[in-house]
Amino acid sequence: MTATDSTAKKKNILDPGFELTLRPMRYPDFYEHYRNAIKNTWTVEEVDLHSDVADLAKLSEGERHMIGRLVAFFATGDSIVSNNLVLTLYKHINSPEARLYLSRQLFEEAVHVQFYLTLLDTYLPDPEDRAAAFDAVESIPSIREKAQFCFRWMDSVEKIDALESKEDRRRFLLNLICFAACIEGLFFYGAFAYVYWFRSRGLLHGLATGTNWVFRDESMHMDFAFRVVDTVRAEEPDLFDEELGKRVTAMLEEAVEAELQFARDLCGEGLPGMNTESMRQYLECVADQRLARLGLPIRYGSENPFAFMELQNVQELTNFFERRVSAYQIAVEGSVSFDDDF
Amino acid sequence: MTDTAVPTLPQPVRESDRGSDAGRDAPGTALLVTLTERSADLPAVDPGRVAAAALRGRSAKADYAELRGLAMESAAALIAEDPQYSRLAARLLAEEIREEAAGQGATCFAASVAVGHREGLIGDTTAAFVAAHADTLDAVVDPHGDDRFEYFGLRTVYSRYLLRHPITRQVIETPQQFMLRVACGLEVGGDAKSVAEVAELYRLMSRLEYLPSSPTLFNSGTRHPQMSSCYLLDSPLDELDSIYSRYAQIARLSKHAGGIGLSYSRVRSRGSLIRGTNGQSNGIVPFLRTLDASVAAVNQGGRRKGAACVYLETWHADIEEFLELRDNTGEEARRTHNLNLAHWIPDEFMRRVDADTEWSLFSPGDVPELVDLWGAEFDAAYVKAEQAGKAVRTIPARTLYARMMRTLAQTGNGWMTFKDASNRAANQTALPGRTVHSSNLCTEILEVTDDSETAVCNLGSVNLGAFVDGHGEIDWERLDATVRTAVTFLDRVIDINFYPTPEAGTSNSRWRPVGLGMMGLQDVFFKLRLEFDSAEAKAVSTKISERIMLAAYETSCELAERLGRHEAYAETRAARGQLHIDHFAVTTEWPERWEALRARVAETGLRNALLLAVAPTATIASIAGVYECIEPQVSNLFKRETLSGEFLQVNPYLVADLKKLGLWNAITREELREGNGSAQEITDLPEEYKRLYRTAWELPQRALIDLAAARMPYLDQSQSLNLFMAAPTIGKLSSMYAYAWKVGLKTTYYLRSRPATRIARAATTATAQVVTEADAVACSLENPESCEACQ
Repeated sequence: MTATDSTAKKKNILDPGFELTLRPMRYPDFYEHYRNAIKNTWTVEEVDLHSDVADLAKLSEGERHMIGRLVAFFATGDSIVSNNLVLTLYKHINSPEARLYLSRQLFEEAVHVQFYLTLLDTYLPDPEDRAAAFDAVESIPSIREKAQFCFRWMDSVEKIDALESKEDRRRFLLNLICFAACIEGLFFYGAFAYVYWFRSRGLLHGLATGTNWVFRDESMHMDFAFRVVDTVRAEEPDLFDEELGKRVTAMLEEAVEAELQFARDLCGEGLPGMNTESMRQYLECVADQRLARLGLPIRYGSENPFAFMELQNVQELTNFFERRVSAYQIAVEGSVSFDDDF
Repeated sequence: MTDTAVPTLPQPVRESDRGSDAGRDAPGTALLVTLTERSADLPAVDPGRVAAAALRGRSAKADYAELRGLAMESAAALIAEDPQYSRLAARLLAEEIREEAAGQGATCFAASVAVGHREGLIGDTTAAFVAAHADTLDAVVDPHGDDRFEYFGLRTVYSRYLLRHPITRQVIETPQQFMLRVACGLEVGGDAKSVAEVAELYRLMSRLEYLPSSPTLFNSGTRHPQMSSCYLLDSPLDELDSIYSRYAQIARLSKHAGGIGLSYSRVRSRGSLIRGTNGQSNGIVPFLRTLDASVAAVNQGGRRKGAACVYLETWHADIEEFLELRDNTGEEARRTHNLNLAHWIPDEFMRRVDADTEWSLFSPGDVPELVDLWGAEFDAAYVKAEQAGKAVRTIPARTLYARMMRTLAQTGNGWMTFKDASNRAANQTALPGRTVHSSNLCTEILEVTDDSETAVCNLGSVNLGAFVDGHGEIDWERLDATVRTAVTFLDRVIDINFYPTPEAGTSNSRWRPVGLGMMGLQDVFFKLRLEFDSAEAKAVSTKISERIMLAAYETSCELAERLGRHEAYAETRAARGQLHIDHFAVTTEWPERWEALRARVAETGLRNALLLAVAPTATIASIAGVYECIEPQVSNLFKRETLSGEFLQVNPYLVADLKKLGLWNAITREELREGNGSAQEITDLPEEYKRLYRTAWELPQRALIDLAAARMPYLDQSQSLNLFMAAPTIGKLSSMYAYAWKVGLKTTYYLRSRPATRIARAATTATAQVVTEADAVACSLENPESCEACQ
């Protein structure tokens, strides 16, 4: 494509509107994200929660409290993310490629909601317990506080119909970063740590399997969001100024505190290998990673204390007698041939 | 809200600072002493670091046992940094297990068996044998045996294999007592000679040179000694009663820890007429749904999930729906998530794929003869049925083949196994009407079945790496001796075994098949420094297989001499002077021994119709701490997820080389990790090492197939051959499987592929952008190996 009139028409990704043109493609990276995401399709029916039910009966009082709270958080967490995606992200990220990805992400969030709904129905056979879990956003203070953190950052942009001013766009960026770095990237990562802690002790494999897949999805959501941030910064370098950096850091600190008060509720006096102090270090380490990804100075300098989280990114070799392998791709291309290299 | 002030020192006030000083409390001090002692011969291990990590994670009520448990986990977490931490973790676990068992009364071997007998777990015969020879057997136990385990292996033994008290759920045997119990369960005669035999088998197991398969490890010496790994069932007949009685058979077999291979090729396809009701059949899918539910419902003795593989011949008219059974989209009523699927493919299909012609699909009711035919007779009957217009429909052979490849790529399932190659060289198919109708759950067993005979196989594997001596030579004589002991005891399983169904008992006493296999071939290659795809590697691998076959057959002759040939010997090809290798054009390494064997077989016959099969060895290879069966390494660094949690493994051969090269440091470890376990991205690693340490994903799959084809003459059954392709395409897969068929493989197993995207690093310490001098000093003192800021 020539540079002549494209520069004249060139729009930025946060310019208001509903761009429809996919060719020539301006953000092929987002389109690739969309295609890769499809290859990771999974369904709730593939997760076998059977052994979890037996495990639940074995848990100690402290562990049972922990898992009860965790499930209550999961009950509403992904729905909040979905809502923000529809109400804010889809509206303002003006790229048809990115909107393809967001549509896909919305589907994934729905699968996550369904997974946690199924989990809850399985873990909590009593209808009153289930209702109470879904009410946790209101009734359990440690969960309410996290939810309110989310709502505050949703409200901050809800009234904006079009990102006309620089301040509008900054507020949008904060919302985007909040959902990527703080909610998906910190609250969920906190929750994953509890799940993998259980698994490291040979417990709740069904939950861990589903969480593996949720984790894989969330990793992509976060990566996508950060690339949108990168794009915005490249297109409008003065937007992400020192002041915004400070606001992001403060937001992450607030998120760490919100997650930490949740940890205090979950861990109580501490369980073997899992206590509030370790959780603090872990959350600080994760928060530092988010800041580093955004090119900001790290805030805590903490190291990850959880060995079982280190394992999370190493290649899986599941013995198939034990659990279904979670590594298969979906889209396969090509046609029959006999002389391809193999 | 926290203020946004400077992010550097001082550290925030810690909520549980109380544990930071090991000297301050008694359990902490005791722990440090223990760790120092246990790692005295492990120079790479830093006991202080393990202790500190354990103290950090403790709960408010931590006692010594909790701290030791946390120390074990901390040590295990450091295995990726240095494999020596695996030994420390294993020692701590061994100590914990010994205490737990002793608490249940298992203070010595005889006591352990007595407790097991009292609690109704150990069988009367074994209990009486052990009681009669208590002192001698107690003395057989190797006090240092547990020190041969790596952490992952010991963990697996502990969580899956050791007998547990029915109420307290505590273990009632230590790992060494468990192995001796397994050996004693295979004792015959009850006298001093049998004590010596048992001691020999125990010695092989304790030294991790040979291990029987899991069902034998689970059940030997117990009240229900079901020790067979595999059951193969013929297809139900094309009628309701037969279909439902198969479910019951399978449930009984599955309950006692057997994996199931089942053909479904005789059951009519969708749309066929049901004469009794004048309705139309819904085909095999609804019946497989019921099987799926049944398999999920019956777990193997409460220890692992039931597992079955359904085989379907490629001409069956439900083949396309069969291909969709494992899809994770579409109508749930037509999905079977627990069943494995395999194709039982006639050569005629592959020839038509090659020639790009049409392929006809039939309902078995219209061509009942096809299931029992193979080779030229099948080809003739198939063409005749086509000419008679019996086909339900016709599709291009390549369209179906492409669909099969797609399913392999999407699900890893739909294994390619070849009916004609499997029957042609089979010892049991000498008489007409004797047909191998399927393989088993792991595609290494090939035995004939019919409605009244369920084929059974019990397995064991030799740990090949243990036979490479200090001079880089293979100790052939010791390998012979090991195979002799292994075959002798595999043969005994047939008589001692508990058969869950009469069909299984009938078949096993007639044919007496066993499946001796191997594990750790990759270890041999690493020890001999052979690249997996080199000509030398192929030669060594083939030679090993030949030697094992020779020793196994010689032993079976010996057993035939002493105990008699198997009942159906007269019906075998061996009885007609035809050995398995005669079906292949091979030049043997030891021709004189083959001639002697041939003469001996002619004279004495064989005790066993079949002797060799290479099983996947997933669990027993992890107990032995070696690479699985004949497989290349999948990664230089990988995580194993099992029912007992997650563990990290790092290629110890690579680590040793990197240490020699002075390259084993945090940067290299990060490169290994970033490279997903590949050695190719390690800076400064010389090319020869990069080639040696290629993973299954980096090797040409042609080499895996060539190695498998070269050992095929020396396997009278088959081998579980996984193939690996990171990003499969239809073109690559179709070329690969056509090649596997052309070189004469009988079966293949999973297609392994990789996830499309990776999980983000969960919690890598963020690259420190501002490292103050104080920071750097502090962390280098506390943590000299792992701090990235200091590298």
